[in-house]
Amino acid sequence: MVSRSRTALAGATFAVATLLLASCGSADDGSASGTGGPEKLTFVSYGGSGQDAQIKAFQEPYTAAHPNITFANSSPADVAQVKAQVQAGVVQWDVMSVAPAAAKQNCGTLFEKLSVPKLDPKDFTPQAIGECYVGNWSNATIFGYNAAKYPEGPKTLKDFFDTGKFPGKRGVITNLQNGILEFPLLADGVAPDKIYPLDVDRALRKWDTIRKDTLFAANVGALQQAASADQVDMFLLPDSRMISLLNDKKNVKMVWDTTVVTLNALAVPLGSKHKAAAEDFLQSLVQPEPAAKIAEALAVVPINLNAKPNLSENGKLLEVNGPVNTGKSVIQDIDWYSQNFDAVTTKLGNWLVG
Amino acid sequence: MSSNKIRWSSWLPLVPALALLAGILLVPLGKTFVRSVSNPDLTLANYEHLFTDGVTMTVLGRTALTAATVTIAALLLGYPYAYLMTRVSARTRGILLVVVLIPFWTSVMARNFAWIIILQDGGPVQSAFEAVGIDDVVLYGTTAGVTIAMTQVMLPFMVLPLFSTLGAIDRKLLLAARGLGSSPTAAFWKVFWPLSRGGVMAGVMLVFTLSLGFYVTPALLGSPQQSLVAQLLAQRTTLLLDFAAAGALGMVVLVITLVLVVWANRVGGTVSAIGVVATSQPKDR
Repeated sequence: MVSRSRTALAGATFAVATLLLASCGSADDGSASGTGGPEKLTFVSYGGSGQDAQIKAFQEPYTAAHPNITFANSSPADVAQVKAQVQAGVVQWDVMSVAPAAAKQNCGTLFEKLSVPKLDPKDFTPQAIGECYVGNWSNATIFGYNAAKYPEGPKTLKDFFDTGKFPGKRGVITNLQNGILEFPLLADGVAPDKIYPLDVDRALRKWDTIRKDTLFAANVGALQQAASADQVDMFLLPDSRMISLLNDKKNVKMVWDTTVVTLNALAVPLGSKHKAAAEDFLQSLVQPEPAAKIAEALAVVPINLNAKPNLSENGKLLEVNGPVNTGKSVIQDIDWYSQNFDAVTTKLGNWLVG
Repeated sequence: MSSNKIRWSSWLPLVPALALLAGILLVPLGKTFVRSVSNPDLTLANYEHLFTDGVTMTVLGRTALTAATVTIAALLLGYPYAYLMTRVSARTRGILLVVVLIPFWTSVMARNFAWIIILQDGGPVQSAFEAVGIDDVVLYGTTAGVTIAMTQVMLPFMVLPLFSTLGAIDRKLLLAARGLGSSPTAAFWKVFWPLSRGGVMAGVMLVFTLSLGFYVTPALLGSPQQSLVAQLLAQRTTLLLDFAAAGALGMVVLVITLVLVVWANRVGGTVSAIGVVATSQPKDR
């Protein structure tokens, strides 16, 4: 009896120790950097199908044309990581996905000022080429709804906020880049061309009116999952995720009232050891061909005006600059966001957790 | 001279562990603290802000409340379970141990997504409630849902220290109590429970302190209104890049935890609440 309970005790002690270790989790940073001759660029994005598409549309053709340049991929692209790397003086990332407002806000302090002489801003959508970033693509965040739930669908953004007329659960992403502040203002009657500077308090007051009927999803994946599992009936979801719902034969329809379009960018962390190679790579990936390729893969908006993507049937249903969009678009103002990012993030964050 | 030598050599095996602790714990902790009070001049602004921003205190209170609820639930479930483990055959005990450990052999993400499916609108929990005539029970996105999922994860941390303590209690004492005329209930509360208190405190402290740091489960299963302090830390670190403010918040949580540990050691009496897991021995009589 005694020896058995001793063994059991030892087992239990060992198990607790293992649990403590297991609960700590592990972080993996697959960083690598080349030395001399051939260069290896560390490319950091948001993972998933988006990064797979970036590998196919951007990296593989580039390596084919420049055999000395290869890529190491990592995720997630977290600006806090850049800050930590820059502060510690060990910058391991060379190209990363970033919100252009964040690149602008931290231009010269966390991100390299870029020299991209091969790019002519005239060939691109407004603000697509910045001092510290190069556009990647634009995302349109679209008002979609479950057509099985509403045979007579909602017609305007007002209907999104009208739970009396359209009972049901709403879904929105809490990320500033997905229009969480623009949509309530537009629904409240603010004209699309007068929306900046944003009246954040008014936007949050509008959300207050349907707060208990709304799922505030922490990221795009959570909202996509909720929409596909019928947890939300109306949702504000970016094109690159809406296409997954359509491809899965989900009965989703779009409301083309006013759609919020957001530039998504790439930048070079300050102190990257491969800055010149990174700049050349950035200039290559916004050319018409890769820009079209990425738009086809992800149903996003190409930033190169000469790109002619060959969209799928479902892709055409989401083409914010195509004939399907009978409404208007608001393009997120990078200047305003870069100047107000901290204050707005704090205000929204405090409202959300309060 | 010679005793000195012995002391040094007996310290030697500790060196790797101490170096590791210093390198990965003390140095970063010290840096975090220094950063939280410098701007770059000495300042307490980051700490003042925690008390005045109107959000941090709310979230800290919510975190403590959630952690306390999870701890109580884990104790209520874990105590009888651990007791059962001490009363069954070695084979059954093995099975019981595996059952309680299964959550840990499952990936965090798989476990949380499983909970989403179970708790969401149209999920099995809702159907079960509907079967007994209670409609519209959706636990996904609620504090209750978060608490249930956290309790599942925390259960082993309660069961294992309890098991080691309960297994070490000399059951002849219970017989003696019965022999002296005590009812089974009284024998439990007067003899068994006080002897198990060390394990209870160990389990409570482990579960409570670990619950204070939960991030993924509330982020996935709760709505932002159920944010715990870790989510606030993430917001300050990854969105605002305000490492100093995040450091200040982290320090406050650390101090709260340390205070609790000290308090638990006192309440736990002669048995060191945390040490009990490793030190409690079966009575050889």
